[in-house]
Amino acid sequence: MYLAKWTILLAVFWLLLSGFMQPLLLSFGAISVAIVLLVIKRMDVIDEQPRTIGSPLAALIYIPWLLYQIFLSSIQVTRLIWTGKTKVSPSIAKLPVSSVPENKKVLYANSITLTPGTLSVDLDEEEVTVHALESSSIEELEQGGMADKIAKTWGKKNG
Amino acid sequence: MSALDYLSAALLLLGFIFSLSGAIGLFRFPDFFTRIHASSVTDSSGAVCIILGLALQTNFDLVTVKLLFILFFLLLTGPTGSHALAKSARHGGLLTIPECQEKAKDGVS
Amino acid sequence: MDSVLAASGLGILIVMAIALARAMVAPTVYDRILGVNMFGTKTVLFIATIGFIMGRPDFLDIAIVYALINFIGMVAVLRFFEYTSESN
Repeated sequence: MYLAKWTILLAVFWLLLSGFMQPLLLSFGAISVAIVLLVIKRMDVIDEQPRTIGSPLAALIYIPWLLYQIFLSSIQVTRLIWTGKTKVSPSIAKLPVSSVPENKKVLYANSITLTPGTLSVDLDEEEVTVHALESSSIEELEQGGMADKIAKTWGKKNG
Repeated sequence: MSALDYLSAALLLLGFIFSLSGAIGLFRFPDFFTRIHASSVTDSSGAVCIILGLALQTNFDLVTVKLLFILFFLLLTGPTGSHALAKSARHGGLLTIPECQEKAKDGVS
Repeated sequence: MDSVLAASGLGILIVMAIALARAMVAPTVYDRILGVNMFGTKTVLFIATIGFIMGRPDFLDIAIVYALINFIGMVAVLRFFEYTSESN
């Protein structure tokens, strides 16, 4: 089932990138998709992770929200850069990640790093180590706005 | 110039400002971990603004899709790279500013 | 509109120059890698802008490939440093 999903995804990817419709190029595309599917199948032997492809609808809700957050904190960091280095008070803390679904932890850590001002240094089963440019951004993360958003968007069921 | 062109020019300018701030921050911030934050301003905001600004210049066809793919890959690889860098620096024994202060205090007492 | 694109291309070049300067003059090896990483990201955007200035959207394919290779290259260099610093 997931292989069928991958096939569609890869075929669409190929068509969007190439845009040509001649039979020769289409057959090249088919061969490439087949090779990648073979590699995915072989990698399953060593990989025990759940291999679902999440619904694209959730991503459509999440990405604009994330872009807005990035924009807000970028302005904050830009102001810090121009107003002087004496004012930064970097701090480091460990945050629990138990409220985030299992297969979205990487997304959570990635979002933390993507937002300027906070950086995930280490990630394991229970907690993520966050380095922040200002201690206020750590407090903001501790209140759990981002974790809640992820948990709400994807739901806990696929955890 | 149409309204879209003006919007695109504004986005390009904003992207340039963010990128320049990040590059200046690389020199101004006191230690390595804070400098990663400066670089993440360019990696995320600068890239988003410039790519969106360029996307408004297209005729909204396959070229736009390709631009969005570039944005997607940049947003995926940028933070992963920063994370790998930070983790590697910590394994290599680089300390953050609070940890340095703590160590200095311990050394005195 | 061409002048706006040219100006933004020039702006990206300036940022690239600063990042390259950081990569050459930096206190630690990680700072250098950070500078090189930023240089690579800006290169991707620069290639895309150049494609628009010249009116050849084919350049975007090169930009995609560069974005991926930049990431892989950086991770490879990091692996290398992690192993060598342990042996010292």
